[in-house]
Amino acid sequence: MQAQAGDQIVIRGHRIGEPDRDCEVIEVHGANGGPPYVVRWGDDGHESLFFPGPDATVKHLHPAAS
Amino acid sequence: MQARAAIRRSGVAIGPERSVGEAARIMERAGVGALAVVDGGALVGIVTDRDLVTRVIAQRRPDDARVDSVMSMPVITIEAEADIHDAFALFRTHGNRRLPVVEGRRFIGMLSVDDLLINVIGELVDLVRPVTAEAIFGHRDSPAPATC
Repeated sequence: MQAQAGDQIVIRGHRIGEPDRDCEVIEVHGANGGPPYVVRWGDDGHESLFFPGPDATVKHLHPAAS
Repeated sequence: MQARAAIRRSGVAIGPERSVGEAARIMERAGVGALAVVDGGALVGIVTDRDLVTRVIAQRRPDDARVDSVMSMPVITIEAEADIHDAFALFRTHGNRRLPVVEGRRFIGMLSVDDLLINVIGELVDLVRPVTAEAIFGHRDSPAPATC
């Protein structure tokens, strides 16, 4: 997985009826955009270190570098 | 199968200086029941929803108590390259339900009993499928060797 600051990570729900969750990448701590990432959860602004598993996908919200 | 490959969920970590209130809110937002406690990149503990109940709420600790005052430690871990059967043994021996996966002291993800059960059931299904097909459709004999 590769991400940049500003990207959104979506974690799919694990059970029927469980909603997907999302967080925003604040910092990238791995090499070449790799994990772990410092992420911000929702509107309350709590930050944590995130280690993406197979349940997580990145949405690149910034324009691609030319 | 290596422990690394058995991880099914993303791992979430928090610093030891953060508050138990923040830990609870991050658990709720991230949909996880345990956070790795990481200091300077190294795993130093684990804080679970049970820790918050038994060591914070039940003991009337304040919401701003530090995570490292209630976390579980020392942590039983498994190396990322270890065989998954080593995880079975660790769960059996220590009776915990979550096992941090590490590379050295660096946390990379959380393995749960649920993850292992799902993997075992998947392997059982793989075994049962050809047997079931054989019971329904009969034996599928391989062709006899050609003779000249």
